[in-house]
Amino acid sequence: MARRLRLAFLALLAIAGATPAAAQVRAVDLYAPRAFGYVIGDALTLTADITLDAPFTLDPAALPTPRALNYWLDLREVRLDDHGVEGGQHRYTLGLTYQTFYAPLEPRRLDIPAIALSATDGARRVAVNVPGWSFLSSPLREVMTSTPGQAMTLRPDTAPRMIPTAGTRHALLASLVIALGALAVLAWQMGWWPFHRRRARPFAMAARAMAGALGSPSSESAYRGSLMALHRAFDTTAGHGLFAEDLPGFFAAHPAFRAVEGEVRRLFAVSRDVFFGGDAPGAQRALPPGELLALARRLRAVEREAS
Amino acid sequence: MSIERRRTGRLVILSSVAVLVIGLAGALWFGARLHAERADNATIAALAAGQEVAVSPDAAPEVLFARLHFFTYRDRLDEAQPLLNRLAVDGNRPLAVASLYDMANARLRLAIDHLGTNDIDPAIPLVRLAKDGYRRALTLDPGFWDAKYNLDIAMRLVRDFPQIDVDGEEIPPEAAKRLWTDLPGLPQGLP
Repeated sequence: MARRLRLAFLALLAIAGATPAAAQVRAVDLYAPRAFGYVIGDALTLTADITLDAPFTLDPAALPTPRALNYWLDLREVRLDDHGVEGGQHRYTLGLTYQTFYAPLEPRRLDIPAIALSATDGARRVAVNVPGWSFLSSPLREVMTSTPGQAMTLRPDTAPRMIPTAGTRHALLASLVIALGALAVLAWQMGWWPFHRRRARPFAMAARAMAGALGSPSSESAYRGSLMALHRAFDTTAGHGLFAEDLPGFFAAHPAFRAVEGEVRRLFAVSRDVFFGGDAPGAQRALPPGELLALARRLRAVEREAS
Repeated sequence: MSIERRRTGRLVILSSVAVLVIGLAGALWFGARLHAERADNATIAALAAGQEVAVSPDAAPEVLFARLHFFTYRDRLDEAQPLLNRLAVDGNRPLAVASLYDMANARLRLAIDHLGTNDIDPAIPLVRLAKDGYRRALTLDPGFWDAKYNLDIAMRLVRDFPQIDVDGEEIPPEAAKRLWTDLPGLPQGLP
């Protein structure tokens, strides 16, 4: 909204028989946009601030309805904001949007008619006059064209356009990425391909189990259990029960473990002493629990590198 | 594996399955939409290339508009009218504006053709309908300059006068004759 145009102050009329209306309608201030340079089809909005004395309220039934006011002027929108009573005065803001369809041949002043509203306190009615306004309407084209035929040359049609698909494509891509990410998490958790090796790490599991069991002070049963765990890891890696006699075949099939061949042979010798020779204390001296654990960790490292 | 680890594992599995289902459903939905949009764009391209492709009445508004444009461009106004009725009340405001404008353009072009051959009687209702179309387009989009320009041309062909509105829809014949005295001149440069 541009300048304040106080076109009418105290625009009021008393209905016959009522007390002087000046006491009821305090002010009607009209705020208008620029008053020039409107062409055919332009919309313009007038705003009126209406102040009434407190018991009086605007009658909503008296508001104009959006319609064609005459052959060139449409009232497009009517908006009434009630600001409530403050200091004994009831304030309203009335917004009126008009659209002009006047096609002038030269700049021409056009009038927007005044609007008569009414206010009531239940018993009395007073008229509230929103003043009219005028603006300059300008032509869009010259009257006589210099080039023949140009006067009848229409602006081109609006051509049909393709439906933009980029948004849908991006949404599709995002959904696929989300689904793929969820699938990856699921596969990792379930140990599916390509995470199947994560599950197949028997030495890692054995090392983890032994780290708990062989904590100080280590008992004989814990030592035996640790040996069993390592053997089970060898069995799982080889795919069958592995005994000292099978070790050459195992190293041929899993060359990565050649790096620890000596220690593995020592382990197998020790476990033979423990399980079949009944010399557990001697075996513990030959391969103390600490070294056993270190061997398990080396095996785990070899396994991790090999996978 | 401890109970807590197992519970975490189950939680990871459940949530990843849920996200996977959501992702797949989204992919299906958007995939189907993309497919439909591609098919619609193929129809629009075919219509623009001048092939008369049949279009279902409940097709996408963009397709309906392409078909409307196909008809208005070829002066087949009777076939375009039902499409316009549908597009003008649909929620898609830019397409409603474009449909009203294209239809009004077609009518005005036809009217100017009639005027070029001094065939004035059929031209009057065409100009009136064209003006009405431009006005409706401008009501929806007051900043549409092409519609303002063409409405101005139509206005100078047949000027609006207060008494017409007082008389309502029916124009008395003498009023129509009075209108044509206001015609600034027949179009120049046309055959």
